[in-house]
Amino acid sequence: MNPILALLRKDFLNFRRNKAAVSLTFIVPFAMIWLFGQIFGVNRKDSGPNGIPFAVVDASGNAASAKLIAALRGEKTFRVITEHPSAAPKRPLTEADLRPLMEAPGAPFRFALVLPADLVSDSRLGLRLKFLSNPRNEIETQTVNGILQKTIFSHVPELLGQSLGANAKRFIGEDRLRQFNRGIARTVTSAFGGDADELERRMSSADFGFGDLTQPRDSSPAAPGQKSSAADVLSQIVKIDTEQVVGAKVKSPQATSLVGGWAIQFLLFALSASAASLFRERDAGIFQRLLAAPVTRAHILWSKFLYGVALGLVQLVVLFVASSWLYGIEVLPHLGPLVLVCLFAAAACTSFGMLLAALSTSPEAASGLATFLIMLMSAVGGAWFPITFMPEVIQYFSKLTLVYWSMEGFSAVLWAGQSLVQILPILGVLAGTTTAVMSLAVWRFNRGPIFG
Amino acid sequence: MLQLRSLTKRYGALTALDGVSLDLARGEFFGLLGPNGAGKSTTMSLIAGLRAPDGGTVTLDGQTLAAASSVARLALGLVPQHVALYPDLTAVENLRIFGELYGLRGADLRARISEALEAVQLADRAKEPVRNFSGGMQRRLNLVAALLHRPKLLLCDEPTVGVDPQSRNAIFEYLERLNREGLTIIYSTHYMEEATRLCSRIGIIDHGKLHALGTLDELLTRLPFDEEIRFAATPDTASFAMQLGAHGDLATADGAHRFRPGAGFKLSTFYTLAESHALPPRLFTQQRPTLEAVFLHLTGRSLRDA
Repeated sequence: MNPILALLRKDFLNFRRNKAAVSLTFIVPFAMIWLFGQIFGVNRKDSGPNGIPFAVVDASGNAASAKLIAALRGEKTFRVITEHPSAAPKRPLTEADLRPLMEAPGAPFRFALVLPADLVSDSRLGLRLKFLSNPRNEIETQTVNGILQKTIFSHVPELLGQSLGANAKRFIGEDRLRQFNRGIARTVTSAFGGDADELERRMSSADFGFGDLTQPRDSSPAAPGQKSSAADVLSQIVKIDTEQVVGAKVKSPQATSLVGGWAIQFLLFALSASAASLFRERDAGIFQRLLAAPVTRAHILWSKFLYGVALGLVQLVVLFVASSWLYGIEVLPHLGPLVLVCLFAAAACTSFGMLLAALSTSPEAASGLATFLIMLMSAVGGAWFPITFMPEVIQYFSKLTLVYWSMEGFSAVLWAGQSLVQILPILGVLAGTTTAVMSLAVWRFNRGPIFG
Repeated sequence: MLQLRSLTKRYGALTALDGVSLDLARGEFFGLLGPNGAGKSTTMSLIAGLRAPDGGTVTLDGQTLAAASSVARLALGLVPQHVALYPDLTAVENLRIFGELYGLRGADLRARISEALEAVQLADRAKEPVRNFSGGMQRRLNLVAALLHRPKLLLCDEPTVGVDPQSRNAIFEYLERLNREGLTIIYSTHYMEEATRLCSRIGIIDHGKLHALGTLDELLTRLPFDEEIRFAATPDTASFAMQLGAHGDLATADGAHRFRPGAGFKLSTFYTLAESHALPPRLFTQQRPTLEAVFLHLTGRSLRDA
């Protein structure tokens, strides 16, 4: 037989006898594609961005602005927050509340719209709104901007009419404006027919029919990237003041917002491989020698854990130094908190690797399981896409992953510039995760096959 | 020094060790002889405290290993069946790690490492990674790694598997020297030659049971014959061999007959019969039976075939 065929046959025979390899080939891809479809809501009615916390402060008290808020509520992209999340008794949010809340650790929202008291003013034509953001995730920020503009522009005509009415009232006075509207209504209806009273009522409520400007004249969609002329006009009339509340001073925003996701995925793969060294030591009989000495299983496991943490910490520090040098991410000003987040993230990732080794019977099985779970956790935890792009139920699971909390930590330090005290809750979650996962791993190690 | 009492270990439905009892005196070189799967390694792992027995006790100097494991472990040294070393580390680095696990430090540890490497002729390779060592060199280092803390009892679990004759001999000489210096050794093997050469007392184990225990001479007395006579299997000896069958066990293999006289059969009768067949005495080799014969007699199967 041709040597290549003989060797090929050997590989297939080995494959057939390796249960881990067989399951990785047939079961895991199926499970993977199903799970990722679920994660990103493929073929689901609720696919796409979902439930992004979005604060709205309505200081205008205008009926049309209430309609705008209702429209924002109707968008599944947003979870509109109008009340202070922690004030007791409950009260509506004010503009003064927004910045502290957005800057706080674990901010309840990263986007806010202010409809100011002078939303509709008699001193100027057009509208003025305020948009506050923490654009730590570019994809999410762009999505929020797009949906917000669409919603605002579709409600501008009504507000714009009120703006025109207010200006007219200021110039000619309320009585003369009423007389003017009545005259126009009668002239129009006598020439073109219709109900003069109804027309006068609409003119008095500043409904000039501008809504038609934003309604498509036919059903054909606009070409991508093209704005309608109406939208151009509206964007001139509607003035949105934007303010970046968090991360405004970050020198390399794109890299800074992405580096946390890269770091945690790298760390998970590196430390899972490191934990697999337990199998090499077992197969070499080293555990026998160690356990015959005054060494316990716990000694072996915790030394391996500490080694993983140290290795992970060094790797992360190198990664951040490299990202500082290559992409200008500011590391030095945040060195203390950053090292702490790295340390706790490394501990959480190492415990994860240890658990994988404890659950597996061979290094091959551990490696396969690691690939599957790391990809899954990265997707669910938001390392690839914002978690708000996932169905609501998946978003709940996101917060159960160490990827999510590690990324929160890196973002809190590098993007929001939070202090050690401010990141303590995140460190607490990572420490708790490490303790829970490591306890499970040690329990499993003591009952599994690794110590023979 | 060491007492095993009704030691039993099961792996699921398999009884790997079935009520083994044994007393070991200080300074003994005890051999545990049996084929693969007989229960040797299980016995070793129970003595070393690597596994817990399902029944029975292991007592070292009056202390049960479970109750005083850390004290007992300091008194034990285990040479595992595998070369249990870190291949990327040097010989010195390996020994330093294993020495530190037993609480050795500083100058004392350095002195013991030098002494150990000298003893197994590896001093000139001390700073080379173990990966570069031959199989025999790795085995020698594997042995001394268990001795740095100067244990009272050394457990050698088939320490010469896959070793070349020269290294094997070096290991034997080193172990013999250690035993002469007072170290108590339990040596498991499936090579009867090793047990015969090294051990002052031998236990024959098979299917988890200790079938016999004693010195070589004591074990040989269990055989129903004292001598074994060998002669070539040729046409000239065929009719003679046929007649011998009535007077004892006759086995033929590899072109030779092996005759083990039955009880009461006299050697003078043997030679008279040979003379009657015109077979000269030089054709016959008379020798003591080996452990192989004892094993065959006790278990009904050959040590090598088991």
